[in-house]
Amino acid sequence: MTDPLELPTSARRPRQTFELEETGFNEVPKRFRRFYRRWRGAGDKLGPNEALCPVCKVVIRSTKELRAGDRVYCMPCMSRLELVEEEGMLIAKVIY
Amino acid sequence: MADFLANYSIQKWLESCPQGYLEDTVYGHGPDESEPAELLQNDDYREQQIRTTVQLIAGERCALAASSGLVNAAPDQASKTFLATQTLDEGRHVEIFTQRLYDLGVKPNDLETTIKTYINPHLGKFAEVLLEKIDKKDFVAGVVGQNIVLEGMAFSVFEMLHAGAEASNPKFAHTLSGTIADERRHVGFGENRIGELIRRYPEKKPEVQRMQREMTKHMLATFHEAFARNGSPAEARTGAPQKDRAGPTYQGLNLAEASNEEMESALSATVLKEFKTRLGRIGLEYQSPN
Repeated sequence: MTDPLELPTSARRPRQTFELEETGFNEVPKRFRRFYRRWRGAGDKLGPNEALCPVCKVVIRSTKELRAGDRVYCMPCMSRLELVEEEGMLIAKVIY
Repeated sequence: MADFLANYSIQKWLESCPQGYLEDTVYGHGPDESEPAELLQNDDYREQQIRTTVQLIAGERCALAASSGLVNAAPDQASKTFLATQTLDEGRHVEIFTQRLYDLGVKPNDLETTIKTYINPHLGKFAEVLLEKIDKKDFVAGVVGQNIVLEGMAFSVFEMLHAGAEASNPKFAHTLSGTIADERRHVGFGENRIGELIRRYPEKKPEVQRMQREMTKHMLATFHEAFARNGSPAEARTGAPQKDRAGPTYQGLNLAEASNEEMESALSATVLKEFKTRLGRIGLEYQSPN
């Protein structure tokens, strides 16, 4: 079996795409609102296109599936983040 | 770096705040919202809410003095611009919580005596430690004290108060949600700006960590005194519990049934955990006051 990580980028499973609807999040300018939602606490689950900002606890949403190495921006707290994989989970780390 | 600092613009602040979540609000809440009748008719509950609101005003007055003082200490124009917007945020917070005191029945002429009567003395000491750094124009220590320690504490306190008020007092909950949105930007600025500066000036670490230890000591004493004085039934904090309905929760704690000790413990543990995590991210080691 071939390790998928060893495959050339073009041979990897393509990223899923997502339609982003409004979530009621109103803490950023209108044109960016669908890219964020409020974290609903311990029972909340992140989708494959979502990352939790460790600085302000807002969920960042993307139109594409997120993967380790991706960089995202948290507009509500103005943090630049990079996604890393830890214990099988995607974690957002702040880039200073 | 240039792009990062460019995010601190007044235009973005205008689009996010006055034209964003504050649009159509009056003193941070819906124009038709008011304090619940059962609160205004219950003298013990009303006094407890006045006491809580006084602490919020005192904390915000400290934040206003600190952020305005930091404008002149900031080493670059982007930070000055951000701190100018933060100064207006803090001025607004002082105003909306002061208005809440009036809504709770405090007369404008009695404002300062009411604050003097109810202010927690430990909160004053907490503010003194921070404002001493601001007076010395120490930007790094000032931003850690203001935007990480003070704002980090406020973030958790507002979230706890918001959880308690969401069902029983939508007016106060809405006021708090706008301040929580502001705190996101403030803690974000603290982490991002200082995260970079601490790497550039590592010699600042010991002094900043000493200040954090002092502020943490006074913060824990503030929480202890605040909950000890609350003396009371849970309904005094969260409104009358509704039978057969789950009460509001914070960090897994049922706020309608929790004792004062449990509430103090949950809040202190949450704030300290956040401090450790935030400070660790920017390269500082949390210092326990014990």
